[in-house]
Amino acid sequence: MERHPEPLVCGYNVHREADRKAMLEALGLTSIADLFSPIPQEVRLDRELRLPAPHNEWALGKHLRELAGRNASTRSHLSFLGGGIYEHHIPAVVDSLTSSEALLTAYTPYQPELSQGLLQILFEYQRMLSLLSGLRVVNSSLYDGATAMAEAAWMACSATGRRRVLASSRIWPEWKSVLELYMRGRGGEVVYVAADPISGRLDPRSLQASFARPAATFILQTPNSLGILEDIPAAAALCRQHEALLQVSCYPMTLALLKPPGELGADIVTCEGQPLGLPLSAGGPYLGVLACEKRLREFMPGRLVGEVRDIHGKPALALVLERREQQVSREKATSNMCTNQAHQAMRAAIYLAALGERGFREIATQCAGKARYLHEKLLAIPGVEPAATGPFFNEFALRLPCSVPVFLERMLERRVFAGFEVEEHLLVAVTEVKTRAELDEAAALFAETIGALGR
Amino acid sequence: MKQTIFDLSRPGVSGAGLQDPDFGELDPSRWFDAELLRTELIGLPEVSEIELVRHYTALGHRAYGVDDGSYPLGSCTMKYNPKRHEPLANLSGFAHAHPRQPASTLPGLWELLFHLAEYFAELSGMDHFTLQPAAGAHGELTGLMIIRAWFESRGMKRDVVLVQDSAHGTNPASASMAGYRCKMIRTTPEGLTDLGTLEAALDDSVAAVMLTNPSTLGLFEKNIRKIAERVHENGSLLICDGANMNSLMGIVRPGDMGFDVLQLNTHKTFSTPHLSGGPGSGPCGVKAFLEPFLPIPVIRRDARGYFPDEDRPQSIGRMKSFYGHVRVLIRAYCYILTSGSRGLRTVSENAVLNANYVQARLSPYLPPVFGGTCMHECLLSTAKLPVSAFDFAKRLIDYGVHPPTLVGAGCVYFPGHLRDAMLIEPTETETRESLDRMIEKFLRVAQEATEDPELIRTAPHTREVGKILPSGSHRSQRAHEQKRPALEPPGADVP
Repeated sequence: MERHPEPLVCGYNVHREADRKAMLEALGLTSIADLFSPIPQEVRLDRELRLPAPHNEWALGKHLRELAGRNASTRSHLSFLGGGIYEHHIPAVVDSLTSSEALLTAYTPYQPELSQGLLQILFEYQRMLSLLSGLRVVNSSLYDGATAMAEAAWMACSATGRRRVLASSRIWPEWKSVLELYMRGRGGEVVYVAADPISGRLDPRSLQASFARPAATFILQTPNSLGILEDIPAAAALCRQHEALLQVSCYPMTLALLKPPGELGADIVTCEGQPLGLPLSAGGPYLGVLACEKRLREFMPGRLVGEVRDIHGKPALALVLERREQQVSREKATSNMCTNQAHQAMRAAIYLAALGERGFREIATQCAGKARYLHEKLLAIPGVEPAATGPFFNEFALRLPCSVPVFLERMLERRVFAGFEVEEHLLVAVTEVKTRAELDEAAALFAETIGALGR
Repeated sequence: MKQTIFDLSRPGVSGAGLQDPDFGELDPSRWFDAELLRTELIGLPEVSEIELVRHYTALGHRAYGVDDGSYPLGSCTMKYNPKRHEPLANLSGFAHAHPRQPASTLPGLWELLFHLAEYFAELSGMDHFTLQPAAGAHGELTGLMIIRAWFESRGMKRDVVLVQDSAHGTNPASASMAGYRCKMIRTTPEGLTDLGTLEAALDDSVAAVMLTNPSTLGLFEKNIRKIAERVHENGSLLICDGANMNSLMGIVRPGDMGFDVLQLNTHKTFSTPHLSGGPGSGPCGVKAFLEPFLPIPVIRRDARGYFPDEDRPQSIGRMKSFYGHVRVLIRAYCYILTSGSRGLRTVSENAVLNANYVQARLSPYLPPVFGGTCMHECLLSTAKLPVSAFDFAKRLIDYGVHPPTLVGAGCVYFPGHLRDAMLIEPTETETRESLDRMIEKFLRVAQEATEDPELIRTAPHTREVGKILPSGSHRSQRAHEQKRPALEPPGADVP
């Protein structure tokens, strides 16, 4: 029997030795080594790679199940974690439809004649997110909420010719880090604007003072890192007065119930799109939503799907405005976006379509309603107080009468992720997936643990 | 465009029954001030589940993936993606883990990521990796940010990056995002980096030289050691666009060639599906002296086990929130474990074999631009034919072959004389029979081009929409404006 060039554990090295020989013959070569003749001997690796022995499919599955099995998750623990990423129910139909092989294994739709189906899904995504954000142009799409925020900040710099960016001090700390790194690269400056200590909202006087020097944009995150809903119209008025763009980064679920930021004066809206049908995935991949006013479109990074005509004049869809893209305009490109998050955008579109108008509003209403139910129960615990007085959506910050890290540790022993610590407060998120029984159970555990620690 | 999901909407219908009977009807106006609340409907479509399923199933049928047929997309490595990875990436302990869980509750994840970074280091000859970058281009940007931080830590300011004129378009874009000025290094008539031009451009403003090796022209930079020496003598660093790693595994390592930094496009080399354009992931590897600057967190191991280390004072910060595209990284881990050392080497051998086979068989009609042995992709010229590469490529669609990479219709943008070339990467997962079938179709189009060029120029003829000219192509626009007045696309407005 002939020898296969490698152990027979994987089905995706396709040639038999005879095939390789025949192909080499067609090339007039005698050995595979001849193919690598352009590589100088001095740089070649003269040993085998030190990697684990090959695993067959069963062994691989067993190993991965073992690794995954050692992780806790929102399925093994009762979770109140949020902070930009939220546990929502994903209708089975979303997974089912997005696992269509053509959508999974297709490339970026650079050849629109072959890709009308996926272009249409992205086009529908753009329209849905446009309706949610209240802005005309939506791209499809950026890596996550943090990179969308950072790219949008640069968009504002390009559009205004300024390099100074104001940002609320109450944006997620990880996002601050991304924003600062992106801005530092291009020689921009990030200045944080303080929040009001009582309400937890942005302090308009601080914002006014920060405009003493011209700024490209002001970035507001709502709900903010204490879960407080910000006053968008107030920020918009100040931005307009100082000819800066207002960028609002928001939790997309709030857009089901609350007025769209675009309608309230935001020029740019970004979101972490994970809540729209994307699994938690221990951090990624997620989805960066980016929407803007039409006049800012030229400065927008990422892919846009638009209506065009074929050579017969028939309407069709294609990627448009590619002149600002890296493969066309090179160093003039407004971003290096290449492989992006198309599949995540498709999931978001199908998720929103599956829920529909009423379903989406219902989910958002339950998030807010169930959060209030738990909030009330937790405030009844002696020593527990709200950290700020401003309005919240589904995530709220509490002042505890005990150490937050110790409390979290105790709750973890009871298989509860009780939230996480922000500015020495406990931030608790509730979504529609929590049942009344779970919320009651959680409240009892909170009370018991705080009671034990507070004494 | 076919009917949209909005056209199908019948208000009052919902695809998902979602009310929680324990809470019943809730009224948001009890919690939010009237001026905060939406006063009008959002306008989302309302369809039943069956309508939803049929709509998106139909749209799925109007897309084309690797599973459907040949996808010889140069520089983009559109290879078959093993199905066994999907259920493993979706295991509950990965898919339903929250990134803000206490680190102590994710030991399996840290162990996986730690070892994956080690495997990447072994494969590439780098010392350390961050798995955080979200895409290949994001990995390029990470590498450039690290280089910048290293120079700054030494009190030096260098603001130029040199890039080959044949580089992926993402290279200059990444350089400008990292705050560098970008200077192009032209390639020699053989398609290699011009050492003379490079030497002339090296001065104390140059932070880094960014090379793709093998290059986007499908060629191995045989002078790479000499180039590395010159770059290092100048006090600059050498950064590799590692997009083409699928031709080198087990054969040669960028770290051994003298590169200080590289990114790996895990979705290309390590087999994550392209997912209609992403997500991918672009881990970035560095030599030891650059390790302190890697983005936070870095996964480490100590006596207690594996953990994400955030306490890194010299780190550049974060390239994105949290740890990276975890479920993409899991697929890469699976691919490496399945293949093992010999399997990965075979992958690279087959990638190079297939590309050379295609090049040899097509060369009488589509001569290679540079001749000689190519690596995992070949650059073929359509100059002998009476039609353009663009037209040629569109006709391939009628034969069920995805067009190869062309200027501006993939991730490359070639300079002047290469504009009429096609970059073909058959990939290692095509069988000899499949290559023969694909070659046969290329040859048929070449023959048609000489017999009936108009047939080629107006292709494709078999799809629901006809030829669409690229919005960035001025030449094509001019050619077409004579027939139809308004070509400028209306943009991505809400219809």
